[in-house]
Amino acid sequence: MSEVTYVQPFDENFTTAFCPELVLVAGLFALIIIPNLGKATFRIPGTQIRLPYFLGGERYSAFSNPRLPSWIAAITLIIAFVEVLMTFDGGLQRYMIVSELLPTTINEVNSGDVLVNGGSHILPGSSKELLLINGFSRLFEMIFFGALSLAAIASMNRLQSFDASDRSTNALYNNRRQADFYILLLTTGMGMAIVALAQDMFVLFLGLELASFSSYVLVAFHKESKEGTEGGMKYFIVGSVASGIGLYGLSMLYLWAGSLQLGELSVAFDAAMSPQGSPALPLIALGFVLVGFGFKVSAAPFHFAAPDAYAGASSPVAGILATASKAMGIVGLTRMLLIVASPESSDGSAIWLVALGILSVVTMTWGNIAALGSDNPKRMLAYSSVAHAGYMLAGLTAIGAWNWDPRLAGHGGDAAIMVMTAILFHLVVLVCFKLGAFLVLSVLESEGEVSQMSNMRGLAKREPLLAVSMFIFMISLAGVPPMSGFMSKLLVIMGIVKVAIGDMGDAISNGDLLSIGDAHWVWWLALIMVLNSAISMFYYLRVVVTMYFHEPEGTRQGPLPNGWQVRTAIFACVVASVFFGINADALIELCEMAANSLNYSWASQ
Amino acid sequence: MPLVGLPIIASLIIMATVSNLSEEVREKMVNPIRWAILLFSLGLLGLTTAMFYNYFGDINGFEGIAFNTYEFTARYSWVDSLGIYWSVGLDALSFPMVWLTTLLLPITIIATWDEKNGAFYHPLILLMGGALIGVFVSLDLFMFYVFWELTLIPMFFLILKWGGADRKYAAQKFFIYTFTASVVMLLGLVTLYFLQNPLEPLAYSGSLTGRTFDIPELVTYAQNANMNGNWFLGASMQKIIFVMLMLGFLVKLPAVPFHTWLPDAHVQAPTGGSMLLAGVMLKMGAYGMFRLPVALFPHALEHFQLALMAIGMISLVWGSIVCLGQTNLKKMVAYSSVSHMGVICIGIATMQPIGWAAALFMMFAHGIISPHLFAVCGAFKHHYHSMEIGEMRGMAKHSPWLATSMMFAWMASLGLPLLAGFVAELMVLIALWHFLIAEGWSVLWMVGPALTIAVTAAYYLWSMQRTIFEGGDETQPPASMDGHPIPDIANHEKLAMFVLAMFTILFGVMPWIALDMMNDWTIQIFEGLIMPILGNFSGGV
Repeated sequence: MSEVTYVQPFDENFTTAFCPELVLVAGLFALIIIPNLGKATFRIPGTQIRLPYFLGGERYSAFSNPRLPSWIAAITLIIAFVEVLMTFDGGLQRYMIVSELLPTTINEVNSGDVLVNGGSHILPGSSKELLLINGFSRLFEMIFFGALSLAAIASMNRLQSFDASDRSTNALYNNRRQADFYILLLTTGMGMAIVALAQDMFVLFLGLELASFSSYVLVAFHKESKEGTEGGMKYFIVGSVASGIGLYGLSMLYLWAGSLQLGELSVAFDAAMSPQGSPALPLIALGFVLVGFGFKVSAAPFHFAAPDAYAGASSPVAGILATASKAMGIVGLTRMLLIVASPESSDGSAIWLVALGILSVVTMTWGNIAALGSDNPKRMLAYSSVAHAGYMLAGLTAIGAWNWDPRLAGHGGDAAIMVMTAILFHLVVLVCFKLGAFLVLSVLESEGEVSQMSNMRGLAKREPLLAVSMFIFMISLAGVPPMSGFMSKLLVIMGIVKVAIGDMGDAISNGDLLSIGDAHWVWWLALIMVLNSAISMFYYLRVVVTMYFHEPEGTRQGPLPNGWQVRTAIFACVVASVFFGINADALIELCEMAANSLNYSWASQ
Repeated sequence: MPLVGLPIIASLIIMATVSNLSEEVREKMVNPIRWAILLFSLGLLGLTTAMFYNYFGDINGFEGIAFNTYEFTARYSWVDSLGIYWSVGLDALSFPMVWLTTLLLPITIIATWDEKNGAFYHPLILLMGGALIGVFVSLDLFMFYVFWELTLIPMFFLILKWGGADRKYAAQKFFIYTFTASVVMLLGLVTLYFLQNPLEPLAYSGSLTGRTFDIPELVTYAQNANMNGNWFLGASMQKIIFVMLMLGFLVKLPAVPFHTWLPDAHVQAPTGGSMLLAGVMLKMGAYGMFRLPVALFPHALEHFQLALMAIGMISLVWGSIVCLGQTNLKKMVAYSSVSHMGVICIGIATMQPIGWAAALFMMFAHGIISPHLFAVCGAFKHHYHSMEIGEMRGMAKHSPWLATSMMFAWMASLGLPLLAGFVAELMVLIALWHFLIAEGWSVLWMVGPALTIAVTAAYYLWSMQRTIFEGGDETQPPASMDGHPIPDIANHEKLAMFVLAMFTILFGVMPWIALDMMNDWTIQIFEGLIMPILGNFSGGV
């Protein structure tokens, strides 16, 4: 593991460290400026000299293409995605962005200051850690940018645009909206990236709110239907209440620890959990903060807004909510549960273990049962996404028990890393098939409403390739081999079982008589999980049956409206869904590297 | 191992290409596609037959190889971090099943030569065959499970797209029922996986987990742990995992009370689907039992011996009693499969070498006879548009070919001597006798299975009498024919049924062709595994 390089904002190394995010910022500026370039001039008062200043006025024809913003956004996101991928190449250099960093030549060295960067810099004790760039955060950025670029490409066919020469109100209005939508998409990506990198709860909250507010608007952007506005409103209200509660929890944490730095909170929490400590205040605060993130991952019982929001939003946006936004919530949960309230604080099983276990069971069961009864494909996918959140929470619960077994001393961290790898893998491949499923609905949506299962009838006749793609997404969601969804579910189950079994294999071969009752109780989470995935088979298969079995309904005949961009995105999702199922090794290793970099206490164990 | 990969890849390529064609071109492409697939599957059959005759010469043959050693092995790294390998090999347990699959593939294709939408149908059959071969040849738990589930997908589509009126319900029930059982099995496999000793990793272990999915390694590991009166994994853990694995296999078999998906799936499935479903897919359950729970957990098998025996008995008796009450020809045949699978269950539960050899031979014989039964049912449905037993009378008069085929298949299934089914049933009865004597039980328990054979004869003869012979000169075509002239079966159906009948006779008269290697496998597993662990049996080898 390479050493961390400390960087001050806008100092040397900053651009190297922060490259993908800077690309996003540049793209954001480009999105704002480029569509506005025009022949605007400024007359110097008292003269006839007109100086062009290019912003406003009659737009240049080259920049007035209404499709231009979407291409800028898509290319920006793809470049950012590739930048992130390239940082993995040849070993990741870790950077910590801090608020204050002094060169060693300055002689004011106080107590608490440390020499960093190989002794060339002083890190003052008053300096705050802001953003950490390591495998874990980079992997999440990969998820965010990947999902957003797919959604950006797919949205090109979803947002109506008109020829620039069309001067009707409708055309002007719709063309103008193009830029807004993609600006919001980029700010969502920006906020998510900050959440992934943040090392300070306050910075994390800033990123969370930036991403949240952008996504509220994105949900409500679907004005063609009433549900869009309604869904956006509900999502906004519930989301801001959840954020408010989370912020309240953060303020209590600050009151209690005097800092929102993750490292300092973690130390303080360990002290509070010791027999002499008083854990009441931090625990209440933790609970409040979890509400905020629970809403983001749409864990029951904070999931009520999710089905409305997903059903109301346009499908690519719903896909973002179900993948990238959920991953953002998982980052928050991971930071809070595994770094701050870290499991090693109390003899092996974290204080939140039982609560999170119950939450995960409720979430996955509720999600699956609610999905059984929903006739709206988007609501069905929303509930299935609740169920998937439950699976990931079960994984997090298992991490909480990572060193329950005293026999595990020495290599217990393997199990924790395995579960974390599984969760990360699941989040990555979720982008492929969950977003892909929403994109297929998006193609259908460009023809008319998709609010009932019957709207998908006869898709196999109308669009065989789309139907096959949807079929692959569905069985991938359900976890049927050899799709990537199976691999991820298998990894989560394996991780949970590995934690639960602990070192029983060694004990058994030494002659101990052990039963499943001697394993940690998280084993039963794995059982509930596999039974749940059997339940989920019902509604995933129903989609397939609707596509293949029924004749197309009424007026919806023949092939769907064209749109090569969204089809390309779907194709990419299909290829990835199958590829990561059949050849998962490289991705597993990447996720393992990321999981390793999350918490060094595991690796040292 | 081209046996697994090629059929799957070939069929996927064909289907992907075909789905892009327009309707008219697709219709034109049907003929080349089905010829290509027929030739391809015949090639596979030739390959496995050559393997049987040791044409390749680099193996010792399937006889005489020690327990837990395999021929034609190949191993490629797949997912290093989890210890997953693409690992294949054949022994006398899997080889007959593989050969059976490759035999049934061309026969199924011939029997259902002009199935509608053939450009998709025939590739799907080939895909199904590839997945089935994958189940039988895989020597890696992960790979085994992947193919185990992969078989569901083509079968689901075969039922959904080409099935009968109630196909939607049947396809979903089939999928969900077996999927539920196999995820429980999966959890059992994963638990077993992590119960390996991490301090002394086996060969082919994963870098992330330190454990292996390799079946031969695991079997050896379990074998050593089971010695000297110890239970591998300890008694209670072994029982739990045994039950979890058996649940998956018993549902697939299917054994009463987990059999309810089978009649629905069979009745609704198209002929080709039924042929492969009954012929090979059900055997996956019995194959899996021998491959994993039996080899890994002999103690638990002995512990649950009576439960398994009871399940087998109930399947046997219940299956045949239900048959008596059926008016739907295909449903009757489906329940007769349940009954025959009960015979396999009993064979395993006797824990006698002859019982296991009988179970293996039953798997094989039923794999030849039941496709014949379903081919007859399919031809019946295809030509007379009806499945009701009472509607069709005097078939001997107007459809002599179909009547003959039906008679032959029915006789083979009820266990007529000199046909393949008889050998297996007789052996199971002998094994049961051994078992009863060894356990000191009353021989009167034999009455159940013996009577069941009479019941089997009753329902088969009764249905034959009503469809073939009754009516005499004034044949009564079914109402569904609307007075059209009654055709006999087409030439391709004749060919398929004839080939199946020939093999039924071949393995009835000369069962040793297949039975020798099965006997040998049984002797090897008893000498190498069961007897050292559980002690000698009064039945002896």
